Amino acid sequence: MGVPRPAGEFDTSYARDMATIRQPWQWWLLLAFILALYGLPLYASQSMVSLVNRIAITIIAVQGLNLLTGYTGQISLGQAAFMTTGGYISALLVNQAGWPFLAALPLAALGAGLVGLIFGLPSLRVKGFYLAMATLAAQFIIPWFTRNAFPKVLNGAQGLNVQAPLLFGIEFNTPQKYLFLSLTVLILTTIVAHNISRSRLGRAFVALRDHDLAAELLGMNLFKYKLQAFFLAAVYAGLAGALAAHNIRHLNSETFNLNDSVVFLGMLVIGGLGSNLGPIFGAIVVELLIEFATLFGPFFITIFPSTAAGAVQALRPLFFGITLMLFLIFEPRGLAHRWQLLKAAWRLRPFSH
Amino acid sequence: MRKTLFVLTAILLAISLGMAACAPQPTPAPTEPPAPTTAAPPTAAPTEAPTEEPTPAGPPDLTGETITLYHFGDLSGPYAAITAPLIHGAEDAVKAINEAGGIYGATLEIKFADDGGSIDEAVAAYDRFTSENPNALVMITYGSGEAEALAQRFAEDKIVNITAGLSAKAFYGAGSGYTFGLGSIYPDQLAFTMKFLSENWATYKPASAGDEIKLAYLSWPTAFGQGGLTAESRAFLADLGIEIVAEETYDVSPTADTTTAILNAQAAGANVIWTNTLAFGPAAILNDLNSLGLRDQFLVAGDNWTMDLATYAFLADPAYGVGLVAPFPYLWWTDTDNPGVQYAQGLFEANGRPAAEHNVGYLLLVAGVDMTAKAITRAIDTVGYENLTGEAVYNALIEMSPFNALDGVLQVDYSNGSRSPHMSQIRMIQGGPDKFIVIQDWAETPDLRPAE
Repeated sequence: MGVPRPAGEFDTSYARDMATIRQPWQWWLLLAFILALYGLPLYASQSMVSLVNRIAITIIAVQGLNLLTGYTGQISLGQAAFMTTGGYISALLVNQAGWPFLAALPLAALGAGLVGLIFGLPSLRVKGFYLAMATLAAQFIIPWFTRNAFPKVLNGAQGLNVQAPLLFGIEFNTPQKYLFLSLTVLILTTIVAHNISRSRLGRAFVALRDHDLAAELLGMNLFKYKLQAFFLAAVYAGLAGALAAHNIRHLNSETFNLNDSVVFLGMLVIGGLGSNLGPIFGAIVVELLIEFATLFGPFFITIFPSTAAGAVQALRPLFFGITLMLFLIFEPRGLAHRWQLLKAAWRLRPFSH
Repeated sequence: MRKTLFVLTAILLAISLGMAACAPQPTPAPTEPPAPTTAAPPTAAPTEAPTEEPTPAGPPDLTGETITLYHFGDLSGPYAAITAPLIHGAEDAVKAINEAGGIYGATLEIKFADDGGSIDEAVAAYDRFTSENPNALVMITYGSGEAEALAQRFAEDKIVNITAGLSAKAFYGAGSGYTFGLGSIYPDQLAFTMKFLSENWATYKPASAGDEIKLAYLSWPTAFGQGGLTAESRAFLADLGIEIVAEETYDVSPTADTTTAILNAQAAGANVIWTNTLAFGPAAILNDLNSLGLRDQFLVAGDNWTMDLATYAFLADPAYGVGLVAPFPYLWWTDTDNPGVQYAQGLFEANGRPAAEHNVGYLLLVAGVDMTAKAITRAIDTVGYENLTGEAVYNALIEMSPFNALDGVLQVDYSNGSRSPHMSQIRMIQGGPDKFIVIQDWAETPDLRPAE
């Protein structure tokens, strides 16, 4: 949506018109926020840092899905499978080929992107529910492949132990150290995703999503753009998978599963489809919900000792399901839209409408 | 744009490396000094005394102190059915130890986190616990996946992991070393059972089976499910002359359809099915074997978790369970002449646990906590409470070996680099629930730990 601004505030150059951040104080605020994030290990517990790591990696995966589903309108249930691909490629390159992590990471992304292209091929012929089913195949084929193909290399269902990244003599083997890596990649992927959404490619994605027939009549090569969207989504998933594998330091066919793919879609709905803030809001809210359910479980048992056993098991899916349902009913455009409304109300106060 | 992005990347990378280099390391918090020494209160379970009692200055009085154990497992995912009794066994055992005076007066505390069967969540739980207590001594895990994924971290942080996930990789994989099992590793279990069957095939072979064992490995497509088949176990079976003619997988679900896998095994000429699963795994196979009318062609065997009271909950007819064979690296509830089993039974009744939890998980964790408490006690005796660390508990577990946990419910020997027990029975279901009859008494399992 357009951002309503107070009367009299005009853009006087193209650069200013294209600017994402318009005011100096916004730059300072962003900088302070980023510094506060990077400084987390200095004042937050290891548990908190670990949680931020997970959220950062999840956001990257959901950003990829947002390019595909949010901007291009192509549903995918295979995002976690592409994470598996990226994780395995990076693990093999670092562990067995002895490649440096910095070289393995982009190759993991690229490899996952190429696999994503293959599973994007059906998008030429099918869409909607049928495309979701086609991409679901990735969630079965890729784990099957990792379990059964090249057992001496991939180690079957047992999977691989993954080394902690080593960069310039520093081993990123604690959550505190890993945070710098995951945040850096997240910032870069956020900038790239944001710029893609504002580029010719991003506008083509949106055109394709909003009315594919009209876009084709205007001369767009739909298949090309669909494949590009699948490639980009899988690249992001590959990056996230590689980062997660080196963070967890273990990887097998179960590490990223169908449930993750479904939850990523849920995050996108909660955060806001087709918005760059959507993946960030969605991943944070859902991860915090999961964390809350985990921490709330023992408390729940003390309150309702007789009924707790079954109820605690259901807390996580319950929280996630209810939140998703509430958003679908009351705010289908997600938290990002709500955030825009809040900002507009603040800017235009006291005339908020 | 590209130039800006490149410059930004370089700056972010430089900042990250700089800050990572200066990132604070989690430093172990010193434990509080112990209170003045007086008499030692008794500890809980009636376990046999360790082989040696190095207590030079008399037992300390740790009244007012708290020693925390941590455990995490799947309470909301596919393995929840088996995890719940494991957790309750651990909690009841801790409660009983405290009621009997704790460890030298110190209260034993146990904290749980549900990881939903997700490795990611297990790592998060680990981080949460180590953040809460940088000097964590012992963590108990229940799944092979969790144990494998965290094995390196346990070793690096010198935290003892007592686990019911018996994957060889968790115990002997690269970088592991602090992971100790509550049962024989799955390759040992497979080899032990198949060796017994090959020596007694004439007695136990099904009516329509041939004279040579042809093995079908039908299991879950997970780290746990595939945990029995390693290079070592394959070589062992080959030496026995047992051919693995089929390797099939089926879903991790009580309602899994195993008919295709069974028919493939039949087509390959198999007459023994091994499944490395929980109770509902063999139940699915036995149900389908009966539906297909093939029950008399196969002997069904599985890892220790397959034979449990819970198995009956998933069988279409209790009679289908007859003939199931499984290694038992522990005693069973029916061994009521054993004081350890009596003790566990007393805990079970005193805490009003439901009949559905009267299973292997509960019994094993009562034994596991007893073993852990004894190891911590010995570590305190050796290094003093003020120097109590995971490394001291690790050393205690090795120094105590061989020993009987909970009066022989579990026979353990962690010496000579072994971190999993090697003593086991083999049992066969020969009737209704609880008719788990010993067909091979305690014997040493093959030692198929992978090469370092």
